[in-house]
Amino acid sequence: MSIFIDENTKVLVQGITGKEGRFWTDHMIGCGTNVVAGVTPGKEGQKVEGREVYHSVRRAVEQEDVEASMLFVPPRFTKDAVFEALDSGIKKIVTVADGIPLHDAIQIRKAALLEGALVIGGNTSGVISPGKAMMGFFPYWIERVYKPGRIGIMTRSGSLTNEVTAMVVKAGFGVTSLIGIGGDPVPGTRFAEMLPFYEADDETDAVVLIGELGGSMEEECAQMKRDGLFTKPLVAFLGGRTAPEGKRMGHAGAIVSGGKGSVKDKIEAIESVGGKVAERPRFVGDYLKELLGQ
Amino acid sequence: MKLFEYQAKETFRKNGIPTPQSMLITSVDELGAASDMTGFPLVLKSQLLMGGRGKAGLIRFVKDRAQAEEECAQLFASYYNVKKILVEQAVHIKSEIYLSITVDPVAAKHMIIACADGGVEIETLAETAPEKIIREYIDPDSGISPYQMRNVAFQLGLNGDVMKKFSSVLGKLYTAFKANDAELIEINPLFITGDEDVVAGDGKLSIDDNSDFRQNTYEKTREYYDSDAEYESALEGIPYLQFDGDISLMCAGAGLTTTVYDLINYEGGTVANYLEFGGPNYKKAVRAMELCLKNESKVILVVTFGTIARADVMAEGIVEAINRLKPDRPIVTCIRGTNEEEANRILKDAGLVPLYDTEEAVRKAVSIAAGGDA
Repeated sequence: MSIFIDENTKVLVQGITGKEGRFWTDHMIGCGTNVVAGVTPGKEGQKVEGREVYHSVRRAVEQEDVEASMLFVPPRFTKDAVFEALDSGIKKIVTVADGIPLHDAIQIRKAALLEGALVIGGNTSGVISPGKAMMGFFPYWIERVYKPGRIGIMTRSGSLTNEVTAMVVKAGFGVTSLIGIGGDPVPGTRFAEMLPFYEADDETDAVVLIGELGGSMEEECAQMKRDGLFTKPLVAFLGGRTAPEGKRMGHAGAIVSGGKGSVKDKIEAIESVGGKVAERPRFVGDYLKELLGQ
Repeated sequence: MKLFEYQAKETFRKNGIPTPQSMLITSVDELGAASDMTGFPLVLKSQLLMGGRGKAGLIRFVKDRAQAEEECAQLFASYYNVKKILVEQAVHIKSEIYLSITVDPVAAKHMIIACADGGVEIETLAETAPEKIIREYIDPDSGISPYQMRNVAFQLGLNGDVMKKFSSVLGKLYTAFKANDAELIEINPLFITGDEDVVAGDGKLSIDDNSDFRQNTYEKTREYYDSDAEYESALEGIPYLQFDGDISLMCAGAGLTTTVYDLINYEGGTVANYLEFGGPNYKKAVRAMELCLKNESKVILVVTFGTIARADVMAEGIVEAINRLKPDRPIVTCIRGTNEEEANRILKDAGLVPLYDTEEAVRKAVSIAAGGDA
């Protein structure tokens, strides 16, 4: 099993004829993703990588069976594109847009909650189940990072994900599914909301959180563990342990936290429920071995 | 983008929120005209973006012209580089309230925060007396309803005319919050005057940078930044923070750069500047290195692990920057990600010694900063 996406998930690409959309659709197909069609307003009748392009999501879902939508849409049009996908009943949406306005992000998340949909992102590389499929842009060809295995990974970062995951793989593990929650202050979906999927997945033995200072997402995961809703081993790597107070370091997430969200608080929360927090990326693998009894 | 108090108050007035009579001045010469308008006593408020202006002595209550001139001259000459002073009528204050609006990322709602103890910092209050903080959540699609304004007012213990005036201010503040794509809009303190008026004593407004395309009311000028480097990098869209240590960071990705910052501290090193040139900036190596070289750092540390930000393009950028800028200090590189083999060939051809492990690169930079061999 995988989380969110596997080789069978039928994926629509919104913004498929753009430069980025075209390039990454090619790669998504290349790593096994079942891309069924694309959407670009005004471009119906064209084909990308052999897939039909439609004017609108509504027209696409009339013709094709679609389960998930991948958005390669600029930040200012992302709210509209997410609403369009939700309106057609799509329940899994990934947006990689970096720069979604805060007030749009609030409305996007609210709409997703209302529809019972998962909107992943923005400001993320997306979602990947190595060896099966991806939605987004991961350098899946780097084998020392994107190796299939039994560890679930959730992250707020891009480059740091490569750094930490490389260490997980170096320690002899691989990845079931990696979910890029994204670095925005209001992500469409939060860490804790993905934990039940990892909990239910027989092929995931443990979860690694790649977080940072700011916000409360790591604390929410600790709460899930305390409430018994997540019982598998949890290891976190958190950036910003030595960040000076008052500086806006890392992603934009810290601004809305209102005094909460120091790394110290996060470490206490995770350790208080039996989780481990690695001081350095390379310790993540050691903690996984310890918690998994290997 | 954080605005100055006088700009926040301009926005308040545009939206119909009462503010004390005031005039912005840029020199002592203009004080006469301002005080003619406000009368005495008045308040001299230095327009700086830092918090805690009162404690730092940057806000002065003055009784007459002679005192005003003396204190105004002191403020303009102060260490804090005060360029503008808001001269404001002193209001007869009966009580003070804290009022702000921000977002709640969990509930996906707008969040009003209020407290009957105005003037204090809300972060402090959240720790010392969280039970005093009033929260009201607003659906972003339906907007604020009058009952929600009344909820806040009654919890604050307001009644009668003051309750009505407060509700009106809150409604207008919410309109301004939405219209300006605010991350935060805050009135602290909100005065209840002796005449039972409700008046904004201070103003904070922070506009979401991602909404620039539909806001763009305020040009980014030098006065919004602490240092030249922070200003120049902001114009380039390059995230930058100024420190005063030995190692200039030129890294990619917010998370990875923050992690490298931590690792340097663990290894006993110090950071001169935090700089990200990843994401959309990955072709700006020359500009990024220029910013690093403005610091008195002893070494530049480049750490990347990119996807779209291709390693070979970044390596080419580093080599071009070295050729153009001829840096006077060693450069340690650890460039990985898409096309990393090509990147390492480019770096080797240019005479650099590419490293592959972040911690090894950090240790190397710390050792060079401590006087070790490059």
